[in-house]
Amino acid sequence: MLLIECPWCGPRAETEFSYGGEAGIARPADPDALSDAEWADYLFYRSNPKGAHRELWNHDHGCRRWFGVERDTATYRIERSYVLSHTGSDAATGSDAATNAGTGYSSGNGD
Amino acid sequence: MSEASPALSGKEGVPPSGKVGTPSPHGRHGLEPFFATVESAPDARVAISVRTGRGFLNLRLNPHSRKAREAAERILGQPMPLAANTFTVGKHRVYWLGPDEWLIAAGEERASDLGSGLTDALAGFHAAVNDLSGGNVELLVGGAHARTALAKGCSLDLHPREFAPGQCAQTSLGRAAVLLAADGEPSTYTIIVRRSFSDYLCRWLENAARPHGAGFSVL
Repeated sequence: MLLIECPWCGPRAETEFSYGGEAGIARPADPDALSDAEWADYLFYRSNPKGAHRELWNHDHGCRRWFGVERDTATYRIERSYVLSHTGSDAATGSDAATNAGTGYSSGNGD
Repeated sequence: MSEASPALSGKEGVPPSGKVGTPSPHGRHGLEPFFATVESAPDARVAISVRTGRGFLNLRLNPHSRKAREAAERILGQPMPLAANTFTVGKHRVYWLGPDEWLIAAGEERASDLGSGLTDALAGFHAAVNDLSGGNVELLVGGAHARTALAKGCSLDLHPREFAPGQCAQTSLGRAAVLLAADGEPSTYTIIVRRSFSDYLCRWLENAARPHGAGFSVL
């Protein structure tokens, strides 16, 4: 069983989580402009690498938040977990991600 | 939800009311059949109780909005926990559920007033208050061997060194998703579970606690 680190709850058993597929797939801004092949590529095609893989997990028996995990698909070793940024990209790192802590809110405009 | 339908309220002699969290008739928790038939061991070292008359509110608001938080805290009369997996104790208990989500446990009638109070206080903010009173059941598990019994179905380290009083965790117990909280007294835990899982969970707890001697009570 994997021991997955939830960014909020800490290390928890894999049975508390559900898998959400590859991370970092951005929805096309203008789907109407896409060809069927491009749309199919967005919907169905994934990178399926052997090695480092960024993927989405949901802590559904815990805080019920989505977050990102970088895992090696060959060894199952988890390199890190990270909070998704509120813009929907999974590249959140640094202070902005930490302050917002994946709440979907930006700090500063709270009221 | 706990709000009784007018027809049911009429039958039970409770006047219908439009307020959220109208107390369910007789504070039923659905575990009456279990607690009526289960037998307690003479020297119980695990005490399993169900608390009646509890109300629950789910509160969601932007944690970075100081004004929204202060408005909620004024109504609650106690601080909201901002650290993950902790709870605060005042007149009520406020549990951290997520970075923007809390569960408030209070007396059933108080929860109804709290719900209206919070809804009014947070009217101008991006926030939500939902009454979950009828959807949850609160169990207490205590006694010298409570931790050993719980550990049979929980992957968390429940030793007070790791899971100290004031900490809570949403996790799995047996096959049920629960909110587990370490109470002030050592080896005493509050478990909040969905009502539809509560019968299963009590039977699981009975099985886990039997070797240690299990006592049952309704509080």
